Amino acid sequence: MVAPHVDVSNDEHAELLACRSLVTLRINGRETKLTIAPWTTLLDLLREHLDLTGTKKGCDNGQCGACTVLVDGTRINACLTLAVTKDGSEVTTIEGLSAGDQLHPVQKAFIERDAFQCGYCTPGQICSIVGLLREGRAKTTRDVRELMSGNICRCGAYANIVAAIEDVLTEASHTPDGEREP
Amino acid sequence: MKNRLIGTSVPRKEAFDKVTGRARYVDDVSFPGMIYGTTVRSKVARGRLRGIALGPGIPWDEFVVVTAKDIPGINAIHLINDDQPCLADGVINHPEEPVVLLAHPDKHLLEKARQAVVLDIDELPAVHSIEDALAKTAVVWGEDNIFKRYTIEKGDIAEAFANADVILEGHYETGAQEQLYIENNGVIASYSEEAGVTIWGSLQCPYYIQKALIPLFGVGPERARVIQLETGGGFGGKEEYPSMIASHAALLAKKAGVPVKIIYDRAEDMAATTKRHPSRTVVRAAVMRDGTVVGLDIDFAIDGGAYSTLSQVVLSRGLIHAAGPYSCPNVHILGRAVATNSPPHGAFRGFGAPQSIFALERHLDEIGKYLGIAPDEIRRRNFVKPGQTLATGQVVRDDVDMNVLLDRALEAAGWGDKKARFAVENREEGSVKRGIGLATFLHGTGFTGSGEKFLASIVGVEATADGHVRVLAASTEIGQGTNTIFAQIAGDALGVDYDVIQVGQPDTAFVPNSGPTVASRTCTIVGKLVETAALGLRQTLLGSGLLEEPYSSEQFVKACSAYVARSGELRAYAEYKQPPYIKWDEDTFKGDAYGAYSWAVYVASVKVDTLTYEATVEDFVALQEVGKVIHPTLAAGQIEGGVAQGIGWALYENVVWKNGRMANDRMTDYIMPTSVDLPPIRALFAESPYSYGPSGAKGIGELPMDGPGPAIVNAILDAVGIGIPRIPATPEVVMEAYLANTSVTRVCRATEVARG
Amino acid sequence: MKPFAYSRETGLDHALARGKEDGVRYLAGGTTLIDLMRLGVEEPSTVVDLRALPLRDIKADGDGVQIGALATNTEVAYHPLIAKAYPVLSEALLSGASPQLRNMASVGGNLLQRTRCSYFRDPSSPCNKRMAGSGCPALDGYNRSNAILGVSSSCIATHPSDMAVALLALDAVVHVRGGGGERAVPMGDFHVAPGSTPAVETALQKGEIITHVTVPASPFAQRSHYVKVRDRASYAFALSSAAVALDVSGGVVKSARVVLGGVATKPWRATEAEAELVGKPPTSMSFDAAGAAAVRGAVPRTHNAFKVELAKRTVARALRDLVGKA
Repeated sequence: MVAPHVDVSNDEHAELLACRSLVTLRINGRETKLTIAPWTTLLDLLREHLDLTGTKKGCDNGQCGACTVLVDGTRINACLTLAVTKDGSEVTTIEGLSAGDQLHPVQKAFIERDAFQCGYCTPGQICSIVGLLREGRAKTTRDVRELMSGNICRCGAYANIVAAIEDVLTEASHTPDGEREP
Repeated sequence: MKNRLIGTSVPRKEAFDKVTGRARYVDDVSFPGMIYGTTVRSKVARGRLRGIALGPGIPWDEFVVVTAKDIPGINAIHLINDDQPCLADGVINHPEEPVVLLAHPDKHLLEKARQAVVLDIDELPAVHSIEDALAKTAVVWGEDNIFKRYTIEKGDIAEAFANADVILEGHYETGAQEQLYIENNGVIASYSEEAGVTIWGSLQCPYYIQKALIPLFGVGPERARVIQLETGGGFGGKEEYPSMIASHAALLAKKAGVPVKIIYDRAEDMAATTKRHPSRTVVRAAVMRDGTVVGLDIDFAIDGGAYSTLSQVVLSRGLIHAAGPYSCPNVHILGRAVATNSPPHGAFRGFGAPQSIFALERHLDEIGKYLGIAPDEIRRRNFVKPGQTLATGQVVRDDVDMNVLLDRALEAAGWGDKKARFAVENREEGSVKRGIGLATFLHGTGFTGSGEKFLASIVGVEATADGHVRVLAASTEIGQGTNTIFAQIAGDALGVDYDVIQVGQPDTAFVPNSGPTVASRTCTIVGKLVETAALGLRQTLLGSGLLEEPYSSEQFVKACSAYVARSGELRAYAEYKQPPYIKWDEDTFKGDAYGAYSWAVYVASVKVDTLTYEATVEDFVALQEVGKVIHPTLAAGQIEGGVAQGIGWALYENVVWKNGRMANDRMTDYIMPTSVDLPPIRALFAESPYSYGPSGAKGIGELPMDGPGPAIVNAILDAVGIGIPRIPATPEVVMEAYLANTSVTRVCRATEVARG
Repeated sequence: MKPFAYSRETGLDHALARGKEDGVRYLAGGTTLIDLMRLGVEEPSTVVDLRALPLRDIKADGDGVQIGALATNTEVAYHPLIAKAYPVLSEALLSGASPQLRNMASVGGNLLQRTRCSYFRDPSSPCNKRMAGSGCPALDGYNRSNAILGVSSSCIATHPSDMAVALLALDAVVHVRGGGGERAVPMGDFHVAPGSTPAVETALQKGEIITHVTVPASPFAQRSHYVKVRDRASYAFALSSAAVALDVSGGVVKSARVVLGGVATKPWRATEAEAELVGKPPTSMSFDAAGAAAVRGAVPRTHNAFKVELAKRTVARALRDLVGKA
């Protein structure tokens, strides 16, 4: 964790540096209270303050999707989100999807379909898919591809990612308590 | 030896860690006391460095500051010519050239400090294109801006051109391409007087870095240790550049006395690190009326950027692949790698071959169009056959029939039906036109010529106390499946289950040098060594009296464990031996350039909207003969991924240069394919085992980068009758060609030569 | 990112009062502001978070619809009132950014989205929009993404929004609150061309907050369409886009809207193009004429000259698709 620096040349600046906010987040089911600088992004909070390094930094500018997490069930880019703005929210990261060795259906489908190569975009892809399933708007392969376009995979594992998603969609449509209407 | 694992799609070794977020990449790791490093870079393309000033408003006494004078050994990034400094000293040769290094515990203050360093530079004239470099508008490297010049000669080119029916000339260009691995470059370095330098990082070639650290610090190999962490993609981009970052972090760590982490941000990684070499190729073909190419005169030039780095090796691969899988009897190829004042271009999947293959495969379609011969037919009239020679005079030993591959690919793509259907539909009113195009090509496995002999790679296998077998190699897992296929190969050689095999972390303190993870060599060359070493271990165990054939996996594990308990350790090594037939002359570029080639036919179906000039790939068939396929799913993944990058290179990925610097250094401005931009990619395999690869496997990683560019642009030609001479074919490039109604004769000079 | 103080406001009046302070920036979805703060383009000393304000509803408003300024792009795009009655708006929103960013970005923020001009986004570069009088390197520099319409000798930065292009085609009205009370600004007056003051991008005054947008019912809203030409099929800014809407009866166009995106310094209503369509049957010939009229007066530069032809054809493509789809 980075210590705040004090800029001796600027008093006002120094005053700002002392600014701290208390945030309470429910992260992967556990209530977490933290005192942070307001400019801390949700991504840096997860990675640097909580050592939840599964969420990745690919561009830090909302252009790749590697930092996708779920906030109150909705997928967002953690790199463009100030953590203070999510006070009181429920945050789910890749670490929160599995329980020990018990994998989430999307994680299982990723292994079965070999839906990754280098693995760096994978946590963001998986969280994005969990969000996509909850949204329930992907009806066709074209929809799936369009609604996953915010997650860039340079290894080009897209075909297997789409196959993994379709496996989960098919599975869900056959399960009464699935995340998607049949 | 029986294949029980090879040929099946076992789960990836690191699958669980990668889908649960547990896999640790370099930025996920930190050490007690660790601080952060950053790099102050030149903003100008070329100049004389007069001074470095640390500007006001920064508590500089809190900072570690490193310049060239802090380098204990030689100020160079050791590679081939050692002309690239680790930190600029006196002379600046490209934008983003590293000059000063800073380290501090606070990332925010570090960034402020970076901006406060003032470099006093007298600007000098710079060179920014291949043409200017060749014309010597300014001399920026050596005497003539030429890093390297090679030629290939076969037959009698003058006579071929004198006797040909037609001579067609075409000019083709390809742009730079950013590797754009999603994990940026990064390393952590620590230093102590006792242990020397230790590097943890995102990298492809641990021993390249070790070799760079040795002269930089003036230490022996035992005091330069490199450990690869999980690596988020490389594609060549983490082949030579990590030596630079590791050197920087190590210099800072030495001065700071604590570990230093340098992680590039996206813009820095895009602007400062290597890219695919831009190229321009002039192809002159001497052709007979029936489409037989009797002479090829190719002038191939690549832009190497400011320092020579790997450019001569990229050039040689480009040159050797420039005449393709054809038997043309008379060939002259001139290859030049030139210097310009941009950051050095470097390794990227394909390594020069995609550039020269683009030119030839485009040109064949232009020849066919001129002569009225279909693209498939003109290739059939020129394919090389086993026993015939390639441009270097290499006799084709592979059991390959390109006609059979072509037939199969065309059938899979529905070539005939589509040709007929598109011809009808394209005549109808409406702005959308469709076309289908192909490329036929080969790609050499492993290092060029005598490269593998000089590398003399070594692989080890060792038994663990609990009876497992661990593969020891410096070959890195970067997503392509190294760990998985090594476990398959070792498992089958030992006759044990997949889970019995572990793959050791590449760490120069523990693994032998199996060479760099490049050049489609990991499976074939290193995999073969894994097989040989494993067979050696098995032999020792069988000879020890602890194991008898036939045995089960469990019996093997027990025997292994017992052996280790009894004798302390059980290890076996294998060293590369060149196949006896390989003869290569580095000076004349004659002989066996590669031990084996992979062969391919790629077919692209494309839609062009002539209103908006958008070209979209609708279907893609990628058929290749790669020897034995070790892991069908991983192999298909390699092909799909390579084709995806090839589609990007062909249609979207445009590096925009502003005075030698990448102007569009953001992922919103440098466009790579998303999930929506890719067509169904059908990866098909033919298997003709290669006796020097493990179970007959040949190389696969780079091959898929070669075909998409020409196949797609040839499909655009088929759709709208316009031959596009350069990629990426962005909407404005297509528009320009379309509105100019560019015809073959614009692209190619056609000359009728009187015979006799 | 430069340090700043943060506060979250739950009441509009209090939020408005905060807006009068120096160095304050309002935060909604954050997809523009946080991005620019990280680049050092925006360096507020205080960030006032508006997301707790009750401005998120989407509801019927007479025959039209009222959209709260804090409604997310996703909520608007998929809302039944919008998707059915205003297809062009839904299409424009869904053509923008990525699902994650649409889940974050607000309607108010989208209207105030800043340009993607690389010189604007690089604090070390001169830029008249960022620093008045410092110059515009885009005029002679790399200007592929820059504008050909509504340009001045001070600025050729393209307005990047897709949504605003659709809202202008729908005659939407932006409602703002400030110290002086509420006022309604028609979309056509909301964005302003750079002229000699490129820092001024909208009619919004300091301390004012966008509360909602109203979109009226109109005879052409339902027959409306958005076409976006970009460098790839998704998750990219427009090279050229067109929002078109037609009211056709008796085989003749009664009224029309043609608005261009990606090629102008603000959402660009092409009234001359609309005039080419009205009173004629909707045919390819009139669509091509409309396209040609849409780019009349365009000022192309070194790298963006292709946009003149492209914008022309984007309009024609959008109109053809619209008629084809109806």
